[in-house]
Amino acid sequence: MKRFLKIYLERPELAGLALLIFLVIFFQIRSNGVFLNAANLQGMLGILPEMSLVALGVTILMICGEFDLSVGSVFALMPMAMAISLNHGVPFVVAVFIGLLICALIGFINGFITLRFAIPSFITTLGMLFIARSLTVVISGGFPPLLPADIPSWWFTGFVGPGNIFRMSFIWFAGIALLLSALLSLTNFGNWIKATGGYFDAATSMGIPVNRTKIACFMLCSILAGFAGLIQVLRLGSPLPSIGEGMELQAVAAAVIGGTALTGGVGTVLGAIIGATLIRAIDNGLVLTRVDANWFKFAIGALLIFAVVANAWLRRTARGIKLET
Amino acid sequence: MKGETTMKTKLMRNVALAAMLICGTSAASAEGLTIAFTIHSSPSNTFWQAVKKGFEDGCTRVQASCNMIFTQTEGSIEQQVANMQAAIASKPYALITSIVDNKAFDQVIADARKAGIVVIAANVDDTEGAAGNARQAFVGQGFIAAGHSLAMAQSANFPKTGPIKVLVGISAPGQNWSEQRGGGVIKFLEEYKKAGHDISWERIDSGTDLAIVADRVGAKLAADPGITAYFDTGFWHAAVARVLRDRGVPAGKVLLGGFDLVPEVLNEMKSGYVQVQVDQQPYMQGFMPVMEAYLSQAIGLSPADIDTGQGIVTPAMVDKIMGLATKGVR
Repeated sequence: MKRFLKIYLERPELAGLALLIFLVIFFQIRSNGVFLNAANLQGMLGILPEMSLVALGVTILMICGEFDLSVGSVFALMPMAMAISLNHGVPFVVAVFIGLLICALIGFINGFITLRFAIPSFITTLGMLFIARSLTVVISGGFPPLLPADIPSWWFTGFVGPGNIFRMSFIWFAGIALLLSALLSLTNFGNWIKATGGYFDAATSMGIPVNRTKIACFMLCSILAGFAGLIQVLRLGSPLPSIGEGMELQAVAAAVIGGTALTGGVGTVLGAIIGATLIRAIDNGLVLTRVDANWFKFAIGALLIFAVVANAWLRRTARGIKLET
Repeated sequence: MKGETTMKTKLMRNVALAAMLICGTSAASAEGLTIAFTIHSSPSNTFWQAVKKGFEDGCTRVQASCNMIFTQTEGSIEQQVANMQAAIASKPYALITSIVDNKAFDQVIADARKAGIVVIAANVDDTEGAAGNARQAFVGQGFIAAGHSLAMAQSANFPKTGPIKVLVGISAPGQNWSEQRGGGVIKFLEEYKKAGHDISWERIDSGTDLAIVADRVGAKLAADPGITAYFDTGFWHAAVARVLRDRGVPAGKVLLGGFDLVPEVLNEMKSGYVQVQVDQQPYMQGFMPVMEAYLSQAIGLSPADIDTGQGIVTPAMVDKIMGLATKGVR
């Protein structure tokens, strides 16, 4: 029993999961059952994959010991680049590829500058936040293009599942989450990511290609942010240059709430998903329970502090449990 | 009605004056006319690009040296005040600015006037109008009246028998433009109720991001399927139209209306989900203050208020407007 308790208390996402369960029950009761009804779930499951994909990328990068504050801007730049390509007659698949290529390039630049000039990624990506947002406005010419009507949006946003409760975006998200989870826990590369973030000097001494690992994580983070932006624009049908503003901080908050350590080396895919779900559940739940939405940021802030404190306490408690061998 | 006619006449006179000025003096130029335009919005807000286009076109016409200054954060008053101070330091002939707060801009506008700079409010004014601060004129929409007009136009589509439940989305709580538009809508709803109709309404902080508006208003609609109409104080109800379509709710079951003619909304008007929209003619809000500054410098005319309109746009008018909207002039 002690062993079981110790294993679970050491799980970094545990505090977030407990809070999520509590809030779901709370909002379900307070909203007279509307919170989990089909129409509301359909809405929440529409926006959740977008937020979660960004949080996943940020989480993996944080496990690797770096930050990316440019994800909100990349979230807007990718679909804008795609929309402009489409309006120039480029086929849909090629336009998506161009957009993702731009994201990969931004990730590479973030990583290269951070490592080459040994500056904090916080600063590099803060700069990229402004650059990418500005590029989005510039390439749109201020007047965003409309998406052609004949593109296969349903690949990403079509409804699936019982009662059409899920979108295809959820399937993409679930698939990507599984792949990333496997990558982190079953592959050498996953171990390199954790070692690079948690034990940089030891990882370097062991011959792990730490720089390449970090650059790969930067690129993955940007690609996921761009892909999430693509899904949102196809869902809402409008590549506005303002989308994704403030998303970077929500993504970092989701990662931290999900148990990702700011110092690197610790974090899970499940934790990121729990963090993102908590944030969306609170926003949605506040609306349904008629609480003034001005309290939303207060709730996220309080949750962030609570999750970090709770995680630290759980880890200490787990360390305090002595097992007989 | 009489007031409306007078307003229209006034507007026509102003437009004619500008047109006369432009056509009659194609080589019109203003020696050393410099104009700064500060706003509370960031470049990524689509609406303001039409204002910018009008502003730049106006400046080109009179060969003025112009600079439009955006904030880096959407709705940041402190950044706008800092931009105004920087603009004043460069001593332009005229300063055009939006006034989204009743107090924050008073001192900086007074400083500009003291420095001899012509100050014209555009797009958003102090809720107290000319009495609120030292600005000399306002070029823009009367927000309360516009909200009132929107709700009145949409009321023609309300069901004949109640209960009618209305959701009013305040896109930016605390900001003059959003609160006043929402206030105008609610003002009409109060009148409608007094006229004996079974109607109720609720305010919601809806947000200024399509995805967030879709989620929040979508949650409200899920919680209360009896909602008859949703009014947005911006153009973000385009996302609500998407939510309704996705849920299989037929067009017109939940009435949608809001402000500003962006292509996304025009598309939803064509599809039948948005029934009424109010146009405030952003291009004119950029163009006309430049003309007023030019007239002030060239022949000493005082800047005057211009109501850029509370034009109600219905789906039948969309095709004609679509081309102008994509060009950024409507």
